[in-house]
Amino acid sequence: MVDQRDDIIELTDAEAELYDRQIRLWGLESQKRLRSANILLAGLNGFIAEVAKNIILAGVKSVTFLDHRDLRIEDTCSQFLAPKTQLGKNRAEASLQKAQNLNPMVVVSADTEKIDDKPDSFFKNFDVVCVSECTITQIQRINAACRKYNVKFFVGDVWGSFGYTFADLGTHEFVEDVVQSKKMQVSEGGEPGGKGKFENIVTTVKRTIKFTPFDNILNAQKLPKESETYYLLRIMLNYREKYGTDPLPSERDNENLKNEVTAIIEKYNLCDSINNLVTGDLYAQISPVCAIVGGVMGQEIIKTVSQKEAPHNNLFLFNPDTMCGKILNLGKK
Amino acid sequence: MAASISGVFSESLQNAILQCKVLIVGAGGIGCEILKNLVMTGFNDIEIIDLDTIDVSNLNRQFLFHKQHVGKSKAAVAKETALTFNPDVKIVHYHDSITSSDYGLSFFKKFTLVMNALDNRAARNHVNRMCLAADVPLIESGTAGYEGQVELIKKGLSQCYECTPKAAQKTFPGCTIRNTPSEPIHCIVWAKHLFNQLFGEDDPDQDVSPDTADPEAAGKQRVLFQKWDFNVFGVFNEILFFLPDTAAEGALQNESNDKGNVDRVSTRGWAENCDYDAEKLFTKLFHDDIKYLLSMDNLWKKRRPPTPLDWSYLPDGVAGCSKDTMESGLKDQQQWSIAKCGSVFKEAVANLSKALKTCQETSPGDHLVWDKDDQNAMDFVAACANIRAHIFGIPQKTRFDIKSMAGNIIPAIATTNAIIAGVVVLHAFRILEHNLKACRSVYLRLKMNHRNQLLVPEKFVNPPNPKCYVCAPTPQAVLAADTTKMTIKELDETVLKARLNMIAPDVMIDGKGIVVISSEEGETEGNNEKTLEQVGIRDGTVLKVDDFHQNYSLTVTVLQREQPSVKDESPDFLIVADDEDLKPKEDITISEKPSTSNGKVEKVEDDDDIDIVETEISPSTSEADVPKKRKTESPTNNTINKKRKVETNNQHDDDVCIIEDDREVEKVALSVLPAIEEKILTPRKYKSLPDDDCSIVYDGNEDQSTASSPKRSKQLAK
Repeated sequence: MVDQRDDIIELTDAEAELYDRQIRLWGLESQKRLRSANILLAGLNGFIAEVAKNIILAGVKSVTFLDHRDLRIEDTCSQFLAPKTQLGKNRAEASLQKAQNLNPMVVVSADTEKIDDKPDSFFKNFDVVCVSECTITQIQRINAACRKYNVKFFVGDVWGSFGYTFADLGTHEFVEDVVQSKKMQVSEGGEPGGKGKFENIVTTVKRTIKFTPFDNILNAQKLPKESETYYLLRIMLNYREKYGTDPLPSERDNENLKNEVTAIIEKYNLCDSINNLVTGDLYAQISPVCAIVGGVMGQEIIKTVSQKEAPHNNLFLFNPDTMCGKILNLGKK
Repeated sequence: MAASISGVFSESLQNAILQCKVLIVGAGGIGCEILKNLVMTGFNDIEIIDLDTIDVSNLNRQFLFHKQHVGKSKAAVAKETALTFNPDVKIVHYHDSITSSDYGLSFFKKFTLVMNALDNRAARNHVNRMCLAADVPLIESGTAGYEGQVELIKKGLSQCYECTPKAAQKTFPGCTIRNTPSEPIHCIVWAKHLFNQLFGEDDPDQDVSPDTADPEAAGKQRVLFQKWDFNVFGVFNEILFFLPDTAAEGALQNESNDKGNVDRVSTRGWAENCDYDAEKLFTKLFHDDIKYLLSMDNLWKKRRPPTPLDWSYLPDGVAGCSKDTMESGLKDQQQWSIAKCGSVFKEAVANLSKALKTCQETSPGDHLVWDKDDQNAMDFVAACANIRAHIFGIPQKTRFDIKSMAGNIIPAIATTNAIIAGVVVLHAFRILEHNLKACRSVYLRLKMNHRNQLLVPEKFVNPPNPKCYVCAPTPQAVLAADTTKMTIKELDETVLKARLNMIAPDVMIDGKGIVVISSEEGETEGNNEKTLEQVGIRDGTVLKVDDFHQNYSLTVTVLQREQPSVKDESPDFLIVADDEDLKPKEDITISEKPSTSNGKVEKVEDDDDIDIVETEISPSTSEADVPKKRKTESPTNNTINKKRKVETNNQHDDDVCIIEDDREVEKVALSVLPAIEEKILTPRKYKSLPDDDCSIVYDGNEDQSTASSPKRSKQLAK
């Protein structure tokens, strides 16, 4: 069922005024659903800062920042919520003030615990869990916990100018508009003469999509054309899994990354098809790319919470070389 | 900041970022996002310009602004907040219009590149010309709802902003607005005109009284009243007043008076004389004028005749719902009864007339400016539009919906703006790396296309249109107009300024050296009321038009074309790049939209207003005034265009939703949630109002002719 929350109280005049333009786009019902949603954002890097900005502006009920890491110099490339003066301080706490300023109607809080120390039941406190900077093992574990409690799960990352988002929404129900052109009879008050007019009739349809967990996309065999970024994703995730961190800007051309590249090229017989990508900018997080990938992620969270419009199923990859943003549906059984 | 950390970028890009100087035009939704990206990236020298101030409805996406900033300069606050991200960056801000003569060629030449983050076509055209003239790369961008686009404009390399024709504004014939409305939008346009007649700026083309020159109301009356409209007074914005109950007779009486003394009063004057008495105004507008329309009986032979309303007996029922149950939804989404419209009308008229008086006390002759965000102005239009709709048997709309239509609000959201601004800055990187060919146009869609693309890059940079009347080596255009009717003033105001977006044109007749329009004040005003013919402009005359400020010269060849009849919806004049385009083509149907080479989405960031103007004053309406399809395009280009066009159509046709595996989608047999349906109809319907799937940008500004001048300050008492 697409929840019919009749019990939700009406928007205040202040909310109606603030959210006017977006209500005109996604409707009042979506806005009401947004303002009852509790979101967990883990890993307060530049990419998650963009996601935070987008959903706080949209008017969700609460956003919890979870991060045990401190603000590093690399974060200053794109983490606009944490002031430079907070270098060395906890990233979640350092981001709190500016995040709250974006929209006083949203409850924003910080949690400085390690995500690994959180029990599975922690995630059931949220409608949406969105994580970044996690290893494959962490992603698998959190994804499974979210599945267990029917929590919508998102993960995404930005490496330099490359980025991705992934969604496992379990069984997701939503509504979307279907537009049909219909020839209209001229109404009696209308212009005389036989001029038939076409009018778009909009109906709303309910749909359901079943998602697949992150596990299933890790060893995709058959990919659509021009999906080289998928291999880059695998390389960057493998590197992080092995070293527990991402390569730093000072480590451009480092051997460890090259080894991961070679491993994937050999595994998939890629020859030189991903050379452009792997020699590109993959270090720290570049602000415009955080904006692009974080914008897509933010919109996906909004779509999911409002149960309006079809969410992307399931992998979004941004190719910095071509500026193409692609949706791959991987891991189908 | 990325550029201050070695290894984030290649060394050459890092240095270019640190050393360049860039301009952002617009500090709205896209502008805020671009500024954040630039500052975080480590750009050191940024200038930003915006003439607007902050409104509450901006705060859901223009994230550099907070509640305490409402009313302040966008450019100033954007700079202030951006400096908290990086206090070391140099940001210069201007609270000003980019079209001001303070920002000439030497201003634009200072910059390595310019990024547009605008919401209106006039300013986009202007910056386009300035960047072409200064030969500075320009990154143009825009969003509408979930969709957006980014493109590079570089002289000689790419299409300029004016290479492809832009969709014309939706317009309506004057008599539809004044006599025979059949859709809610007709009533809304009428109500906005009425606002201006009563409280706003006098515009002769916004008459709200019955149009006696309506050719459909043929017969005796038509002849009779045509005399009225074109009598010696020659003033259109005057309204005839008739005694109640005897409207038709009154008309006849007045006709006989025509030979003698006619008592004609302007709407404003009359309203002032009766001290803006709501009942008197109502009775004239919604009873007497309607009765008068009924007397033009030819109009109602095939139409449902309107029903005059009596102030004392306004119906208080609302169609389709009981009075007692409060519907859920926003206050603005409640349907008003006609009685409620009457009381809203009364209150709005009282408040607006008070506001008018107040503003005239400080500066006599001043007037109010309609603003969708002003409570009383919006109430007035919503009430009047609904009352008129009721009279003509047209479905009524909620205040919420009327605000969308009257204010032509393009819904804007944070995520789309963020994504588009991200692409803009990636384009900037390419320009700094001297890799302009990589700056292919990019489109953002709500749903992926058949190639699984959500962000869709073009295959290559679109080459310039060799016949473009702006960026071609010697720009040329053909003006088809009635040289016996068009005045020099019309040539200046509606053709050169409104249609061709010049700021201060000089016009000389080629070969004769006669200056007919001069940008210097006081030199050619004597020509204003003369027709083109009277100053020697005839079929085949070549005009040399210069806009010194824009560094833009255009050769205009004039073709004689008879003025269309009143009821004809085609515009008074046509402007084309090539006179071939004026010849009728059999393969082109009327319904065809102006072809845009790549099916771009509408580009509009903001919620600004596009005015819906009547045909008579609209500079460009017909599909015929723009080239259909340029023959100059290469075949490959055309193929791509066609393909893209299909895609674009798809995105508005949600039936064609691409889902790979049918098993995953259960279509729950069109079960419609009533609450949701209602709300969805709003944006969609509204969306089909402006041209759906062709490219381009809406005009932001209310008033075309002043679009390039700084927005007049909001004068309504809040």
